[in-house]
Amino acid sequence: MRSIKRAVLVLIAAGLTTRAQTPAAPPAALPAGYVGSETCKICHEDIYNDFGKSPHEAVETSAKRGWEGRACESCHGPAEKHTESPSAATIRNPSKLAAAAADKICLTCHLNQPTHVGRLESSHAKDQVACVSCHKVHANGPNGLVLRKPAAINEQCASCHTNVWAEFQRPNHHKLPEGAMSCVDCHNPHGSIRPAMAQSFAANEPGCLNCHGDKRGPFTFEHEPVRFEGCVACHEPHGSANPRMLVRADVRLLCLECHASLPTVNTTGTIGVVPPAFHDLRSPRFQNCTVCHQKIHGSYVDRNLLR
Amino acid sequence: MSRLLLAFVLIVVPFIVPMNAQTPDPQAPPPPNPPAEGATPAAPEPASPVPSGESWLTGSIDVGYRWRTDVGGSLDTYRSIVNLGSGPKLLGADFTLTDPKHRAFDQIRVRANSWGDEPYQTIHVDAKKSKLYDFSADYRDMAFFDFLPSYADPLMGRGIVLNEQSFDTRRRLGNFQLDLLPGNWFIPYFAYDRDSGSGTGATTFVSDSNEFPVPNTLRDQTSLYRGGVRFELRRFHATLEQGGTTFKDDQSVFQNPGSTNFGNVATPIFGQTTDLTNLLAAYGVRGTSIYSKALFTAEATSWLDLYGQFLYSQPDTNVYYRQTDAGNLLLQSQLLFYSSQQYLVSAAAKLPHTSGSLGAEIRPLRRVRIVQSWLTDRLHNTGSAASTQTLTSSGISQQTAALLASSLVTNYSQEEIDLFYDATSKLTLRGGYRYVWGDARDAVLPREGLMSADQAKLRRNVGIGGVTYHPTQKITVRTDAEVASSGGAYFRTSLYNYQKVHAQARYQALTSLSLTADFTLLDNNNPVPDVNYDFRSQQESLSLFWSPLGGKFGDFQGSYTRSTLHSDIGYLVPQTLTPQTSLYRDDAHTATALFNVKLPQVQGLAPKLSAGGSFFISSGTRATSYYQPLATLWLPVGKKLSLFADWRYYGYGEAFYLYEGFRTNLVTTGLRFTR
Repeated sequence: MRSIKRAVLVLIAAGLTTRAQTPAAPPAALPAGYVGSETCKICHEDIYNDFGKSPHEAVETSAKRGWEGRACESCHGPAEKHTESPSAATIRNPSKLAAAAADKICLTCHLNQPTHVGRLESSHAKDQVACVSCHKVHANGPNGLVLRKPAAINEQCASCHTNVWAEFQRPNHHKLPEGAMSCVDCHNPHGSIRPAMAQSFAANEPGCLNCHGDKRGPFTFEHEPVRFEGCVACHEPHGSANPRMLVRADVRLLCLECHASLPTVNTTGTIGVVPPAFHDLRSPRFQNCTVCHQKIHGSYVDRNLLR
Repeated sequence: MSRLLLAFVLIVVPFIVPMNAQTPDPQAPPPPNPPAEGATPAAPEPASPVPSGESWLTGSIDVGYRWRTDVGGSLDTYRSIVNLGSGPKLLGADFTLTDPKHRAFDQIRVRANSWGDEPYQTIHVDAKKSKLYDFSADYRDMAFFDFLPSYADPLMGRGIVLNEQSFDTRRRLGNFQLDLLPGNWFIPYFAYDRDSGSGTGATTFVSDSNEFPVPNTLRDQTSLYRGGVRFELRRFHATLEQGGTTFKDDQSVFQNPGSTNFGNVATPIFGQTTDLTNLLAAYGVRGTSIYSKALFTAEATSWLDLYGQFLYSQPDTNVYYRQTDAGNLLLQSQLLFYSSQQYLVSAAAKLPHTSGSLGAEIRPLRRVRIVQSWLTDRLHNTGSAASTQTLTSSGISQQTAALLASSLVTNYSQEEIDLFYDATSKLTLRGGYRYVWGDARDAVLPREGLMSADQAKLRRNVGIGGVTYHPTQKITVRTDAEVASSGGAYFRTSLYNYQKVHAQARYQALTSLSLTADFTLLDNNNPVPDVNYDFRSQQESLSLFWSPLGGKFGDFQGSYTRSTLHSDIGYLVPQTLTPQTSLYRDDAHTATALFNVKLPQVQGLAPKLSAGGSFFISSGTRATSYYQPLATLWLPVGKKLSLFADWRYYGYGEAFYLYEGFRTNLVTTGLRFTR
């Protein structure tokens, strides 16, 4: 009975193949257990057609990966049993596997690409967020495997990172809700050696410098936290009620958290605790340190960051 | 305006001209039915913008006109936060050009957003031809206007509000990359990125005992050139990239002769008032850098994957600074009043920066994975500045030369091992350990006052745990936690002894209803005497998406987030050196909601109404409210044309800085052309 079923399916597949306008040439002989993508098409024609217009079509037509004519089974496994007894139980469905097992299938081809070089540092990978959480494997279109429009990317990220998206509703924020930027402008969802999976500028400089090149330096006189802890030492990049996305409401109090006027002998073992020693904070002149220390990100010419 | 009209004509006309007026490929199949109407500008990206090979041009374009009512309250704050104006706009475009003959390209895809004197204008182009090239270009023009009275108000005590640090600039970013695809495994690529900024602002000219608000001009430009090659083979991959940048920054600060600026200090010093009558200060900064990048991944065996990267960059800058100023100014160290000054500085800095990482994923058993990784990041900045200061007082000139040398070094490393155990197919447990260590130091020589040299060490032990539970297809729960203990940190506010927790749960209650809950906590303490830092941040979110009857009548998505933050840290009040605690509190409620309602069809065309928005209300150190309701009505008038009308309100209020509040309405009407 099974062999009759299979023969009928193969015959139908053969008939469809001859009528197709641009058929993918099936390999001469399929390995044991495999039936070829044309057989899958018989029941899953929509998926097959979408797949044929996606970048993954290369798996079907290229000999590079070794799955020519068997792209469906490259992820779903040998489908012979499924053709004999069509049910969800007789076929591997990566979207229903544990994340690591599903990712392993994707990484069979995609591990050896630069995209994944930071994977071990990726909190997505560590938290078992599978590739298919963001990527649509069968999607139609040249860019169909993942969203490309900034607004759509942001919506997808926000569907998990709800509390981060809430920060963008604060008055001072990077222009993500407006669709001018997307999360992936600043973060690499595949992982990065920088904290918070942040993007890089050039080789290893903070990704913030992609847009804020004037803060790059190197400065003759650096402000240490910029180099040691990055912009997030003072700024909340997602959004803040404080002007200029600062992490504190008053500039002087933000500065005083490090520059605590402690004695010369550094008892805390931390950097930058000594000044400002003699400013009278009661005076309105000293409410905002950056009025005078305007080159707060580093100065080319002044050790006190005054010019 | 004329350029906008020209762009409008060039872009919109192809969408209006009937399809048969074009010159379609005679072999191409007949054009398909146009895609369905209706997505809002912020709607999810359509799965397929273009059924490829069926039409040479498909997509949509939104054009319209926006009216902004008068801004109630502070226009400067409105411009600092929202900055949308009236006028004709190209609100958005997303279209695809297809060449059925695959001559120069297979497809070109263009996305544009908010053009027409908008604060953020973007365009992105992708072009590709199979097995030949893949090209992308991205251009953004972003306005940065910042004039918040509360940010810098040194004269508030005298009842005058004056921002002394403000910007009215634009940043323009261009990124262009070309990947060549001569074969399956060998991919050369080239890229050029450009980032520039220009505009004006206000800053201060700082002199001993007084500071003078003055206008300034800003102009900088960074160009990045890079090229490399990717080798993508079955067993391993390697990427080698070489690049470099050029940088220039020509800021200037000035005050025209003939005016007198009395600065922020009006009280006499030693019986004299200080003033500034003339100023020109100009920076000439030139920088270059080279960088190298080497990446590899390898599937060494069926149970071992290897990862590694080596990154090196060496930016440098050379600076020539020239300043001339005149007035009645004080050199405090010598109690000398002088009438003019010339200050010249020649400086240079170099920042070699090396980073690297190595890692392995080992799968010794079917259910066990071990991930081991190590990374390091080392930078070493050295700088020098030679200055000559010439002061003229009572016709006598006094010249002082100085030479300063600076250095800043940090060596950061971390090593982490994680073990993942798939207890069942639905439950994964994770445990790990991370050790972070480093040292940092900086110095400026010769020493001056209290600012000379500093150093610190970083030692941190972190325990890691996590659980992923996926009992059914409808439920996913993820939690991870870190507990850290430190023996040293770079700064008083750095992570020290901390607990970090993140938990997330997703529940697909019905086919039409999904719920997500999210919780994050960071509790950081530094008990070292003279620090006494106590920081706690907590956020809880709940979001839902409801699409009854498969979205037949519409859908709803909404979220609510409660966040609290408190920070206490001790310091000594500078003028009295008495202990004080810096307190910061933030208790915020944020909600977003969007209803999409499909209205009854008229002659087969379905209008749609979207309404919602967001609000943010906080109490604490800087109590703030920010409301952004909106409503959009889509009215199809044909298969290829829709009218839309959009209303938005922006309302901002401050409990303390009342004069910063603003409110305004924006109404936009326009057309969407679809092909």
